[in-house]
Amino acid sequence: MSLARADAAPAAIWNFRLLSHHELNGFGGMGEGLSIQIAKDGRRILWAAHESAPKNFTGIDVTDPRNPRIVVQTDLPASHMRSNSLEVTGDIMAVAYQCKTYGQQPAGFELFDVSKPEAPRSIAFFDASGPYSRGVHALWFCDGEYVHLAAGAADFQSRHPNDDQFYRIIDVRNLSKPTEVGRWWLPGQREGDAAPPLTRHVYRDNGFRAHNTNVYPQRPDRCYLGYIDAGMLILDISDKSQPKVISRWDNSPPYAGMTHTVLPLFERKLLVVADESNVDNAADWPKLIWIVDARDEANPVPIATCPMPPVADFKNRGGRFGAHNLHENVPLPTSWFSDQIIIGTFFNGGLRAFDISDPYSPREVAHFVPEAPRGSPAASIQLNDVFVDERGIVYVVDRFAGGLYILEMDF
Amino acid sequence: MDGLVFPAGAEGGPFGRRQRHARAGRVPVILVTGFLGAGKTTLVKALLDSPEGAGTVVVVNEFGDIGIDQALLAPSAESRVALLGNGCVCCAARSDLEQTFRTLLTDRARGLIPPFQRVVLELSGADDPTTVLQTFLNMRALGREYHLQAVVAVVDAATGALALADNPEARRQIALADRMVLTKADLASEAEIAALTAVLRDLNPAAPLLTAQHGRIGPDLLLADSDLALPNLLVAEVVHRPDLATFTLDLDRPISWTGLTAALGLLCELRGADLLRIKGLVRLDGCQGPVVIHAVRHLLHKPVELAAWPVGAASRLVFITQGRITRDQVSALFAVVGELTG
Repeated sequence: MSLARADAAPAAIWNFRLLSHHELNGFGGMGEGLSIQIAKDGRRILWAAHESAPKNFTGIDVTDPRNPRIVVQTDLPASHMRSNSLEVTGDIMAVAYQCKTYGQQPAGFELFDVSKPEAPRSIAFFDASGPYSRGVHALWFCDGEYVHLAAGAADFQSRHPNDDQFYRIIDVRNLSKPTEVGRWWLPGQREGDAAPPLTRHVYRDNGFRAHNTNVYPQRPDRCYLGYIDAGMLILDISDKSQPKVISRWDNSPPYAGMTHTVLPLFERKLLVVADESNVDNAADWPKLIWIVDARDEANPVPIATCPMPPVADFKNRGGRFGAHNLHENVPLPTSWFSDQIIIGTFFNGGLRAFDISDPYSPREVAHFVPEAPRGSPAASIQLNDVFVDERGIVYVVDRFAGGLYILEMDF
Repeated sequence: MDGLVFPAGAEGGPFGRRQRHARAGRVPVILVTGFLGAGKTTLVKALLDSPEGAGTVVVVNEFGDIGIDQALLAPSAESRVALLGNGCVCCAARSDLEQTFRTLLTDRARGLIPPFQRVVLELSGADDPTTVLQTFLNMRALGREYHLQAVVAVVDAATGALALADNPEARRQIALADRMVLTKADLASEAEIAALTAVLRDLNPAAPLLTAQHGRIGPDLLLADSDLALPNLLVAEVVHRPDLATFTLDLDRPISWTGLTAALGLLCELRGADLLRIKGLVRLDGCQGPVVIHAVRHLLHKPVELAAWPVGAASRLVFITQGRITRDQVSALFAVVGELTG
């Protein structure tokens, strides 16, 4: 087997400084769950979800970001599972489980006590399996009380198999007994809905389903929801049992769907909305980061996109090229906050930071495109997810093989 | 009107994002000035040959018909050398300068040239750097993409004194410099070097002055950002020459943006052509961090608020002027404007 290395896709770094790189014991294919815990003994532990089996999650001591050390790496109970997403609040970690096909188990999410990082202890499992469910793809857990899910359910049959995951709110105030308190889906998504069936996207049917389900303490009565081929939504969740739509903005068609993340910048009255590229060789180009005017939350208006490097330079490097995850200003003391800088992953386009102080004219201020990781089937870097801690240290992971890259910002 | 503009946000100030450095995401540009034969090319070539010089683009203004500077730079094939057309950068070729720098960005974006970290612009000996400086301060020219990192003046120990005595351009190059390098020290006597140093200090009391050893200096002298937090060297007004003056204005109290722009605006209107350079960090009302002020002649760069004050820095402006603008006049102007703007 030959590997395309730096010659094919040259490493580029601008205004980031690479502090360290860890291949995570050869299991460097990472998902979109990164979260920081400060352990009781003062150690800083980065928890990272793996993109696919056999590994579940890895805990890495990043107290010294120049010398990351694995403290624990766990296995999934079944090869048809993937964890993909996790979130840590205090010493409690929630980990999403999604299966390859409908009806498989275990599918749902698991709560762990990670007060001893070397020995995570399972507290509870919330079952989201069902004959038409693959389980949980992504979760949000920042207040210690509710887990917000993109999930299927035993009692939920979508009209189209691609539409199996919807928004669910799970009360975990009693950690040993997670209980659903609310749910929302797109009218027309579920079998039996009064609304007519949803019009499928012609270019590529990614499904009408939930992805990121962000809720912030500034507005605990709002969910900022990425809904794949249905665009983005703002939901009123002041009554969690009955979420209501405040607004929806959908860029597709003519764009290629896959609305992934909605990041509200409350004080600036802006939203940052990210698509996900999910087709190789930029066939779904352009997958963008959008700046949206949210001064009237009932009428979100797109006003700019973050500039992308030339597609011609990246589309043939291997794998995907386009936007994916953002640093989401996670409302935890271990998370960096910025309403001026947006940092996102772009698969083979690397990690990119944008200054949006002028929201009409975002400017790239930094990037990091590492060489193709050893053994990556994409033969290029595929940066998948990013998290920035409150020190300003940037953690970014590769989807297939590269593991963890730790950087400093210098802009 | 409140609903018609976006709020600055928790992390933003009146001038946008508070930045770690004045340059933020822009490409640093190091301007190397000095008279013909001063040894600029030797210094630049030494930088290119050093590990710290990796990722440097050099833009040289070819002087004369022979292109001798190109010939000297060519062996450093690792870095790209872009030649401007014949003649003087600051006059006939100013649009070429902009075009050259724009082409660098588009070529980089298109992958035609490797990613680069900085640009060194070597001016020809007869160039007046103020015009070039203005190009980098103007957001409609190159100021949006490029950051003027430092102006480095190179002086030949053997012939520098003569050049400075005979040429106002040479004196301006020294006065405008953030750092100075003395070359060919082995060709001059100690007395000659002492006399030249005194002349340089008259023209530019604060800029660090280093002596190159065999055409080499530490890479930081070229690469470091200009030190806006100047040490308190300029305690007294320095007007030893009729044509040039360098002085500082300490701003002990925070000043309002209205007051600052009114004072600088009036100064510009009356004597803009004589304001060769104004630079410094200022404590402004309503700003948490220091605000970088950089002006050349009539042009004030868009202010940048830094995230934090550098250690030891004070709210202070440095004026480099010609035509007998004095510190007392400027100080009185700021005082009056301060009173009127409350």
